Amino acid sequence: MRNVINRGFASEAAFVEARTSDGLTVDGIVEQRWPILDEGEGDWKSHAAAIAQSIQIIKKRLQWKKIMVRLDVLSAELNRPDLWDDPVHAGKVSREHGGLMGKLKEVRGLEQELLEQIDMLKLAREENDEELELESMKALLLTRRSAKEKEHVALLSGDHDSCSCFIEVQAGAGGTESMDWASMVMQMYKMWAQSRDFRVTVVDEMPGEIAGIKRATLKVDGDYAFGYAKAEVGVHRLVRISPFDSAKRRHTSFAAVAVIPILDDASSHVQINESDLRIERFRSGGPGGQHANTTESAVRIVHIPTGVTATSQNERSQHMNKAMAMAVLQSRLDQLEMARQAQMNAQHTQSLTEISWGNQIRTYVLHPYRMVKDLRTNYEVSDPDSVLEGDLDGFILSFLSASLDKHGDDL
Amino acid sequence: MGKLHRKTLETGVEGLGDSYFTESLALSTPPDDPDPLDSNLLLRELQWLLQDATGDVGRSQNPDLVPLRADLGDLYGLWRERVLERRPFQYVVGCEHWRDLVLWVGEGVLIPRPETEVVVDLVREVVIGRSGRGDGEEVWADLGTGSGAIAVGMGGVVGERGRVVATDLSEVAVKVARFNVERYALKDKVQIRQGSWFEPLEDVKGKLTGLVSNPPYIPSRNLPGLQAEVGRYEPKLALDGGESGMDHLIHLCEGSVSYLKPGGFFAFETNGDEQSEFLVDFMVSKLENSFRDVKAVADFAGIKRFVTGFRS
Repeated sequence: MRNVINRGFASEAAFVEARTSDGLTVDGIVEQRWPILDEGEGDWKSHAAAIAQSIQIIKKRLQWKKIMVRLDVLSAELNRPDLWDDPVHAGKVSREHGGLMGKLKEVRGLEQELLEQIDMLKLAREENDEELELESMKALLLTRRSAKEKEHVALLSGDHDSCSCFIEVQAGAGGTESMDWASMVMQMYKMWAQSRDFRVTVVDEMPGEIAGIKRATLKVDGDYAFGYAKAEVGVHRLVRISPFDSAKRRHTSFAAVAVIPILDDASSHVQINESDLRIERFRSGGPGGQHANTTESAVRIVHIPTGVTATSQNERSQHMNKAMAMAVLQSRLDQLEMARQAQMNAQHTQSLTEISWGNQIRTYVLHPYRMVKDLRTNYEVSDPDSVLEGDLDGFILSFLSASLDKHGDDL
Repeated sequence: MGKLHRKTLETGVEGLGDSYFTESLALSTPPDDPDPLDSNLLLRELQWLLQDATGDVGRSQNPDLVPLRADLGDLYGLWRERVLERRPFQYVVGCEHWRDLVLWVGEGVLIPRPETEVVVDLVREVVIGRSGRGDGEEVWADLGTGSGAIAVGMGGVVGERGRVVATDLSEVAVKVARFNVERYALKDKVQIRQGSWFEPLEDVKGKLTGLVSNPPYIPSRNLPGLQAEVGRYEPKLALDGGESGMDHLIHLCEGSVSYLKPGGFFAFETNGDEQSEFLVDFMVSKLENSFRDVKAVADFAGIKRFVTGFRS
């Protein structure tokens, strides 16, 4: 069995770049600089150039060079005879190897597909087979579309991108107006999550005295929830005439958003000692017990060594609130640990996952004009209502591609 | 049954507003109520009511329509009872979420409290600590089981060798508890017997591995001043602890001497600090040498809610 696996890894290094029958490679196609026209226009060269360009973008986003280096390291690990002496480590290595190999094969498959289709098309022309030519053109067009889709998928290739996540919204200074803004932001994410078919629950919500919220924690369940939501980390600014100001003046308020991945690999969780926890019933009062009938069973957990706290109040039993608060606490501590490790590894200090409460990322202007503008990408739309109703994908995708595509040297 | 437009459900309370529910919310805090309901809590209860009342959306043929388990008018009636007559929410929806369980409750049984969930955790700790010791059957008892909450909860944690016997004097409680036991397919694990405290337990006298109870512990003089939901709706039998509130607790402590086997564990819920401290003292000094490691254990609100220990 091991021999078979070893042969598999060895053949990996011996990869030969794919070519068409007349020697054209994917990079070669890019170098031709054939004009890329709309899908309905142009000949096969336009499609081929578009696909080749997508392949380059995908490779860049996947950080292709790094993947190759990493694969070499992992293959060497897998070939060690004592690998399975530590089954947890071995599992991690083989999972990561499998994941990267999957990406590798997908991109190479796409390259292969493109070159074969070009060969097919040329053959059809040489033999004047119109039917085959039409079919090949159709196939090329389909490949072009799927390559474009894979560009999007490649945006979400970060370590924890596939995880579910918590989104935390906190009102800035400025009283009721900014608390109202914070609740608008929370509503925006609820609707965004629903539109993507993520399951969204309010874990913890501290209402403002008059309106809005002081802070809230949403749990967003679904594939790649973190990958998308991490683009929203930062401070969101609102400019409008405040409905809470009788003098009808223009106000500027802020809400900070943090996004924390829920790691699905239990072995990467920070170990929590039960004895380090203080578990409190939140917002309780009075004698309790048989005296009180209440559906309120909120729980707050304090992690004494770090001072990190987590609260859950919307579950229907104390036990479930405790479990949810523990999950929040676990993610926060995991996040702390990741930040600590990132600091040691300078390369990752630019990481998207870092909570950067100080950074203003987007402005929403409702008055005197109407516009939402992302300060990182300059992406803007003139219809704030649709954005506040959760239409965020334009902002998210433009930010993800901008931040990934700027690392030009990774191809 | 009724149908509710999905849009209405997603937009939540406002969507139903004009005709029904906001009216009730507006009524939720009558200005003369000395003990007003918290509107945030009510809003959450309303969402849960809708959650409980709506069926599985996936099974609906038209994705825009959500099947309802009860007619909207009936739901409105239920909600009015909740808000205007202060009927406990758990009786209104007929269930209480407790630990990871959903238990049937209704008038005639005490609605299990969040604090009491901890009793099951206390038992679980003991079971884990005992694992590997002995190999015989282990019998656990829950006295005055009410809805059967603790008994069902224990059924899930007492391990392969463990089984649970629970008693209650009330016929209604026995019926409800049996239903909840069957609901969690614990019929072979948890047995409900009708009778007062230890009376139905003659066959396991001196053999109990553990004994827990959340007996009535409110001093009789405090009953008239109870929160409306409790005082008006919940059974006095499950609340009234006699003049000092400790009539039943003392009875249970004394009974534990003869019903627990040596090393057997007990946990009782009490009215709080004063009762717990008294009980600890009572068990250590009055029932001397019968128990060891007797201590008061706090709930999550920091109130000494439980007394635990072991038969010597």
